[in-house]
Amino acid sequence: MTGKRILMGNEAIAFGAMKAGLQIASGYPGTPSSEVMETIISHAKKYGIYAEWATNEKVALETAVGAAYSGANTIVTMKQVGLNVASDPLMSLSYIGIKGSLVILVSDDPGPHSSQTEQDTRAFGHFSNIPVLDPSTPQEAYDMTKLAFKLSHELETPVILRTTTRVSHGCEDVLIEDIEPVSKDIEGFVKDSRWIIFPKLTAQRHPLLEELQVKMSDRFSEYFDDNTFNSITKGSSKIGIAASGVSALYAKEAIKEHSDVFSFFKAGTAYPFPEKAALDFMEGLTDLIVVEELDPYMEEQFLQIAGKYHLNINIHGKKNGSFPVSGEYNVDVVVDSVNRALDNIGSQSIRLSHSVAAVKPEDIPSLPIRAPTLCAGCMHRTVFYAFKKAAAKMKKQSGIDSVFSGDIGCYTLGNARPLNMVDTCLCMGAGISIAAGLSHTPEFMQGKKAKQVAFIGDSTFFHSGIAAVVSAVYNNADITIAVLDNRTTAMTGHQPHPGIGLTAMGSPAKMIDIAEVLKSCGVGMVKTIEADDLQACMDIATEAMEFEGPSAVVFKGKCVAICKGTSQYVVDEDKCTNCKLCINQLGCPAIFSIAPGIPVIQDTCSGCGLCAQICPAGAIVLKEALQ
Amino acid sequence: MKFDIIIAGVGGQGVVLASRLLATAAIDAGFHVATAETIGMAQREGSVTSHVRIGDDVCGSLIPHGKADLLIGLEPAEAARNILFLSKNGNMVVNEHAIMPSTQDCDEYDPEKILEFLKESCPQTITGDFTGLARSAGTYKAANVAMIAAAAGAGLLPFSDEYLWGVLEKMIPEKYREVNRRVFDKAIESVSGISEKSGKETNEDK
Repeated sequence: MTGKRILMGNEAIAFGAMKAGLQIASGYPGTPSSEVMETIISHAKKYGIYAEWATNEKVALETAVGAAYSGANTIVTMKQVGLNVASDPLMSLSYIGIKGSLVILVSDDPGPHSSQTEQDTRAFGHFSNIPVLDPSTPQEAYDMTKLAFKLSHELETPVILRTTTRVSHGCEDVLIEDIEPVSKDIEGFVKDSRWIIFPKLTAQRHPLLEELQVKMSDRFSEYFDDNTFNSITKGSSKIGIAASGVSALYAKEAIKEHSDVFSFFKAGTAYPFPEKAALDFMEGLTDLIVVEELDPYMEEQFLQIAGKYHLNINIHGKKNGSFPVSGEYNVDVVVDSVNRALDNIGSQSIRLSHSVAAVKPEDIPSLPIRAPTLCAGCMHRTVFYAFKKAAAKMKKQSGIDSVFSGDIGCYTLGNARPLNMVDTCLCMGAGISIAAGLSHTPEFMQGKKAKQVAFIGDSTFFHSGIAAVVSAVYNNADITIAVLDNRTTAMTGHQPHPGIGLTAMGSPAKMIDIAEVLKSCGVGMVKTIEADDLQACMDIATEAMEFEGPSAVVFKGKCVAICKGTSQYVVDEDKCTNCKLCINQLGCPAIFSIAPGIPVIQDTCSGCGLCAQICPAGAIVLKEALQ
Repeated sequence: MKFDIIIAGVGGQGVVLASRLLATAAIDAGFHVATAETIGMAQREGSVTSHVRIGDDVCGSLIPHGKADLLIGLEPAEAARNILFLSKNGNMVVNEHAIMPSTQDCDEYDPEKILEFLKESCPQTITGDFTGLARSAGTYKAANVAMIAAAAGAGLLPFSDEYLWGVLEKMIPEKYREVNRRVFDKAIESVSGISEKSGKETNEDK
């Protein structure tokens, strides 16, 4: 039904895609992008769309490419670091192009809030010659998604829709339209040499690809005429402000009191940069202030135009120190940065101001640090603690140290105090390969041995762990792989994966058994165990670490965020000796104490019983047992 | 019209749901809304903040410092952590129920002191044990619902509590509706005649 609905930016993108006639969708979950696919999946049956979670972003993109080659309208979704995984097909795809339509949704994460990098997908668009649209609100995200499909089909190129966290995870009242069931009349794959990349084809296509960049830049300059995604307003001074994405809104709010003073340039078409419109805008200005998160991408475009056309204009942004080079922006950051730029310009008359807060920063008392941590009852805590104990035993008995390589997922939080069980973390699937690399170093350090342990989650194992296992076995790396199998992609919102036996759309699927995969790869010792009995987990960890060559243990359990516990533990005050082992060893968020009191277990306890298993006084008991 | 609300709490307390409820109610009441939420890693027991901007203008979803008209703190320290957002004429509703951090810093956190600071900073602050109130009505998890209901009941929102309940009724699964209705009514009752009652008396409602 056409009308306004409160939608998260990611939901708005999904509705925009479905309105544009989406037929086939693929993706890999990653914050802040996951809800796009989830929204598509939940409407897929209703509109006749095919949607799937792929094992990783490269596979997802290639799947969408295949569908688009046959003329389908397709979308592929991922977070910014996912685009790194998908970059191999992406770079070649721009030469080949597509037939139906292909929109690549990539979510950037200034801050970062939930990511390894602060990379900028606008720069990736530039690098790969693929157009990038950059919405600033959920409404624009909806409208631009429709535009992205249209452009992709018309120009036979993939189009990147790039969002940032505040657009992806912001909610707004969005005007959406009726969605029709999808059409079933695509042409299908037509055999043609254009689909086979060869050096000769690349050489033929490259000049055409470069021509397309100029054509698109000109077209995006024309978008300023109707003021939808691109707009220019003239101000009374010779100072201009240019912004894109959500930064444009921060800039507008920051200069609200002086909005008639500054000329304002907003471009929702990030790449190819609308050079003609930008040149028109710059003429007559003495100074230009560029407001953008992440890379100084627009700033560099303006600098290039200023150089190319010998314009007498000063550009103020990240490169001259006016704006922070990293981190997320907001209105206050923009107020301070524009003021720094105005200082550089030597403008005395205009000054942006902050609102007056109820208190001053220095009056706020010191507050407890609340770092993210594993949930109360999380199975990962039991496994980490088991390996910690097994490693301590190994060190004591044979003097061998252990190194714990982590990976990307909830279990990265194993690094938190007091567990301290993640020594390295780099990117998806890297834990196993890094452990393998470390395992080959002792002979270069006077034979000083260290046991290498790699932790990897179930979804990450399927994403990019398997190739690392094969390599480790092939090269006989002395490593122990601990698979933390909670049967879901937990951190990104509990998406299914190939080990679950269900597809994204809820159909039964072949369940791929991780232990069988490890065995078939030739891992010498493969064991599977439920991660609830601490002693059994410690014994199996010791056995695996003592094994020479690649060994693996699959620890199975439930994610407490979706399978709520049925029991709760409490502290028996008569038995507790106040040794605080439960607090100092486990870091479970359900247990705390206020000195000099004994530990207290809160309502959030989900009954895993790990604390009861380590309590030397037997003072932690089931709630019903105490009553 | 412009009305900015900050909701602060700890991952797992339902901060995101609270901001969705407020935003949806505001739209039903005829306003434009933009929100920003904390989703992802910080939700695992970390500090979580939602921004809800209600009004006519389209603007970025992050509220500038000193601009919030209302700060709803589901936890005392989290209210204090976000107090710079509060305008000098703003109001606060704060849950007295503290959540102790899991790692060893607990001894350094005295919720009473933080509550005192909050009341000094903003004399019209409404405090109460909304977790206790929700628990006594059936589930401690509905403290988020109790707090937004209290804000509505105290007349601190730009729309009436009927809009809020209307949204709750639609968004909450049927099996939890009754308990949430009890929490909702109890919370509104706890702030009725707020000028005569102190925050401490609200606490006694449990």
